Amino acid sequence: MPPTVKVVRRPDDERTSYLRATLKGMALTFKHLVNPNKVTLQYPEERPDLSPRWRGTHRMEVHSDGRPKCVACGLCPTVCPANCIRLVGGEDDQGNRYPIVYEIDEFRCIFCGMCQEVCPVEAIHVGVHFENAEYTRDRFVYDLDRLMEQDHPSALLWDPSDPRSE
Amino acid sequence: MVDHHGPNTVNLTIDGSPVTVPTGTTILRAAQTTGIEIPHYCYHPGLSSPAMCRLCLVEVDGWPELAPACKTAVAEGQTVLTDSELARRQRTGVLEFYLVNHPLDCPICDQSGECFLQDYVFQEGREHGRGREPKRVLGRDDFGGDVLFYADRCVMCTRCVRFMQEVAEDERLCVVERGDRAIIDTFFEEGLEGSPFAGNIVDICPVGALVSKDFLHKARAWDLDHAPSVCPSCSQGCNITLQTRDDLVQRLKPRENLDVNGWWMCDFGRHNYEWMNRSDRLEEPLIGGESKSWDETLQALFSALEDAQGSVKAVTWAHAPNEEMGLLSALVSELGGSEVVYRSAKTEGEVLLPGYPLLARREDLAPNTEMARVLAMKRVGDDKAQGGLEDLAEHDGVLIVLGDPLEDQPELFGSHAELFVYLGSYASKAANHAHFTLPITMFAEQEGSYTNVQGRIQRFWPGIRAPGSSRPGWLILGALLAELTGIETPVSADQAFGLIVNGISELSGLTFQDLGTGGALIKPSVGVPVD
Repeated sequence: MPPTVKVVRRPDDERTSYLRATLKGMALTFKHLVNPNKVTLQYPEERPDLSPRWRGTHRMEVHSDGRPKCVACGLCPTVCPANCIRLVGGEDDQGNRYPIVYEIDEFRCIFCGMCQEVCPVEAIHVGVHFENAEYTRDRFVYDLDRLMEQDHPSALLWDPSDPRSE
Repeated sequence: MVDHHGPNTVNLTIDGSPVTVPTGTTILRAAQTTGIEIPHYCYHPGLSSPAMCRLCLVEVDGWPELAPACKTAVAEGQTVLTDSELARRQRTGVLEFYLVNHPLDCPICDQSGECFLQDYVFQEGREHGRGREPKRVLGRDDFGGDVLFYADRCVMCTRCVRFMQEVAEDERLCVVERGDRAIIDTFFEEGLEGSPFAGNIVDICPVGALVSKDFLHKARAWDLDHAPSVCPSCSQGCNITLQTRDDLVQRLKPRENLDVNGWWMCDFGRHNYEWMNRSDRLEEPLIGGESKSWDETLQALFSALEDAQGSVKAVTWAHAPNEEMGLLSALVSELGGSEVVYRSAKTEGEVLLPGYPLLARREDLAPNTEMARVLAMKRVGDDKAQGGLEDLAEHDGVLIVLGDPLEDQPELFGSHAELFVYLGSYASKAANHAHFTLPITMFAEQEGSYTNVQGRIQRFWPGIRAPGSSRPGWLILGALLAELTGIETPVSADQAFGLIVNGISELSGLTFQDLGTGGALIKPSVGVPVD
């Protein structure tokens, strides 16, 4: 069956005045010109308020003695839908399991936040942060030291006062 | 289901399904025959049942109390309920007790993902613990050998103690203290050091209490791919599972085969896997050192073989699968050659597993010496699989090397040969003078079969990907043989096996389907009798 084609008739040019539509449009423009309610943000002098649930590039929480909180359980690389986490576990000199290699490819990351959600020791977090520019592409593979250096706030995955969304 | 009414069978009902089993079967085994898995820790098919984990308790109609399914024999007309309210409440309660002192350190526990405490608690445990008291903390202990003991995770099933007692017959473990202070410990300082089968207690530990030092923190259980295989470390041919990740073999685990190894394997075989991950591999076919496509190489090789005038000599090793050995023999006799020699490592004395007399670490440290014997190949060289190739090194006719990496041979090996064909997996300086270097896959990368010391032919399956454009040896030899004789080129290991079966009277009629996963004996007269 051929697809149904709807023919739209355009008004004849010579018999149409666009004056009314033009005035209507200009009226809206002038209304915004005098409207005190400004929407433009003067970035970078002014900065946006990000939602506490904003999911940006990662950070790794550290213990007070500077060790990463990660225990290399392997759940975040398992759950990661983009396969952007590389983890090699090992044992440190105190017999604790820790990540020898922990790398996140932020280009591959889709910022779903499942790594933070699955983490049993609250070590890896997505951050409330958006300024990620770098001069080279390889800087977007964050290694463990880089992740531990990040100082932006961690994202909240749910409202702490209503954890079950009730 | 077959309806048995003989005096040696018992009819009963388990969870509403009628079951007929031989007299004396336990409820747990009877339930397994209908696919009902009753949770258990202390029971293991290869060990005695002390009925001490209290997890397999089931309701038997008319009995005043719950019965341990692992220990109770079935009776005629019994009605067993494994999933009744009472049985389930009992299991939930027992599991709660198990968690009283369990550290719940699944994130750092090596058993995580293959742990029966995790599985059972996830299925039937309480959602939240009710314990308020602090947990007992015992830490970990080095048991010697490859075994590490995390005391806090133990569920006191005593499988390890019973294995050392009943199967290894080398009592090195015991339960010390009583009640809630009970703990597994070694008798003396050396612990499990030097016990040749102690690695099995890591396999049978249902939780993460006993873990392998070699595998510690190496990979998560759910990341591993499993391929059924056969242990290549001696001629016993234990059935194993290759557990691989990222195309690297991470560990070997025994696979049940009651005719060969039961549930066990020796530590020598278990830890001899690093060579499967060697990276110095041949990846492309070479003609005189220049890489060529397979088509070009095989065409050139075929015409070179036809033009060659000299006598044909071949050498292989006892790691070559049946299909490669058989096709090599056929190819050599087709070319008018006289003999094929092989080299294999040997050690002195067997290491027996007293509780499972079929299983021993054999003297031959290669998986396929039996097939070399069946094919009347001649063993040369010493017990380290070295030397013995002096006349081949100087041979001036056609020289074919299959598999053997020739690590001990000089660089001038085969330099006088009219035609030197090297089919191998590893780069070798002795293959420098090879006219044709053909990369072949090794056993973990291909399908094939080995013949063990009993004369049992057992299949193995590929676990990792072969590097570059290497191909199974039987495919290359089969293509050459097909060109020479006009038969159809075998395109699967099954077909290659079919070709060699024709040439060996002992094997006549065997197919891969007959072998299955458990293997099949070639004529008993060929095999070594096993008591």
